[in-house]
Amino acid sequence: MDLFRDCLDKELEDRNHRRMGRVDGLILEVEDGRPPRVAYVEVGVKTLLDRLSRRLGSAAARQLKKFGIDTEPYRIPWGKLHFGLNVVHADVEAEKTPALEWELWLRKKVIGRIPGA
Amino acid sequence: MKKIVEIALGIVTSVGGFLEIGSITTAAQAGADFSLQLIWAIVLGGLCIIFLVEQAGRFAAVSGRTIPDAIRERFGFKYFSVLYLTLVVVSLLVLAAEIGGVCIALELATGIGLQWWALPATFVIWLVIWKGTFGVIEKGVSMLGLVTVCFIVGALMIHPPWDQVLRGAVPSLPQHDSAHYWFIAVSILGASISPYLFFFYSSGAIEDEWRETHVGINRVIATSGMSFGSLISIAVLILAAMIFAPQGIKIEHYSQLPQLLVPVFGHKGFWLLVASLGIACMGAAMEITLQIAYLTAQGFGWNWSENQRPLDEARFSFVYTIVLLLAALIVLTGIDPLSVTIFSMVLTAATLPVAIVPFLFLMNDGRYVRSYRNGWLSNAVVILIIGLAFVLAMVSIPLQIFGGS
Repeated sequence: MDLFRDCLDKELEDRNHRRMGRVDGLILEVEDGRPPRVAYVEVGVKTLLDRLSRRLGSAAARQLKKFGIDTEPYRIPWGKLHFGLNVVHADVEAEKTPALEWELWLRKKVIGRIPGA
Repeated sequence: MKKIVEIALGIVTSVGGFLEIGSITTAAQAGADFSLQLIWAIVLGGLCIIFLVEQAGRFAAVSGRTIPDAIRERFGFKYFSVLYLTLVVVSLLVLAAEIGGVCIALELATGIGLQWWALPATFVIWLVIWKGTFGVIEKGVSMLGLVTVCFIVGALMIHPPWDQVLRGAVPSLPQHDSAHYWFIAVSILGASISPYLFFFYSSGAIEDEWRETHVGINRVIATSGMSFGSLISIAVLILAAMIFAPQGIKIEHYSQLPQLLVPVFGHKGFWLLVASLGIACMGAAMEITLQIAYLTAQGFGWNWSENQRPLDEARFSFVYTIVLLLAALIVLTGIDPLSVTIFSMVLTAATLPVAIVPFLFLMNDGRYVRSYRNGWLSNAVVILIIGLAFVLAMVSIPLQIFGGS
């Protein structure tokens, strides 16, 4: 598998085919004497910004923390993933994971309070 | 029969949704300042947008994906972030110009200053997006936008010299004010080859659940819709050339726009202009607002669809709400809508390469478009458009400085 072509930045769907973000990062495990192994994929704003610049990622995380927003990326174990042509399926329920934390917060605190939502 | 209805509806919505503040203003300025000489710029822009829209629609119909969605996948987050930031900034300015256009129409109709209309007009745009579905916005507003066909009727009634109209369709060098001539040409191209148009079109194809069977329909709709749309822009230019140019009148304020139709239709022309401007700008404002929300949701892998309840796509709804608020704030600053329009059209031209280069790769990637890859002609045209985009990107800002006054 070509990790850049077939995994990184692909759309992630949960087991109910709900979009839950994109594969923002890959976590490799390196053990002595063995080839590196992909252990997790990451979803999260800090992982994304780290790809532009580590300094930008850390600065954004610090600022967001001041507002009580946790930027810790959500990790999905490699074993829970299945790869389609242009989509990665994760065997998880999106709404029960931190991947949809902002969506649910906005739904409850902002959008849900506007009439007609 | 169903296909014919679908094609007719598609063409009607493309025509009705084509004209907006940028194309009206740039065409009118071109006609007033250089008579019929700049028709070629609209023709060239129209040809480019036909190819890009057709490809964006074909891509969506075959792959089930939109172009921005695939750009993130194929080109990675760094490239996408450049595309995203440039498009959001430019689109915000264009959106402010469109809201400004709605406000100008309301000012012309009521005599109440345009800034008073910024918030009510924005609220109505938001409300239609909030409560409406994609079909309501696409078909309803675009149907109303057909009122802009009055420009074609006007251009026919004014009996322009058709030999000169045809001569204007061939590029020619300016006889005076070279920098201003090229500045207006670049503005027209920026207004015609607008990334929001082809990105919105591909999102619309997904919203309308296009499949591989729509490839043929897409070709007819893209070609006919964009051609008729360009004809309306040419009609605006002809009217300005026949009415403003002989008297040496420059378009320096929106209040001059009704004069495009009043000499032809009398007092009714005033109301036709007000309706055309108001509806066209409102339709474009809705499309641009949605396009920014689509771009954000598609780039970050969120759920998105204008056909869902706002509650079910909170982030998507939040983005279009904030975008509209920001654009309204720009209008409220009191900045001249005419300046914002022209500046945003030039800025659009400057940022075109980022949006167009990916077409060449995506439209030849079998993982997305399978056997519907670009042929040699489409690839040759895309390469030419990319070349044109780079030229526009390089000359637009210097021309804004030297020829924009």
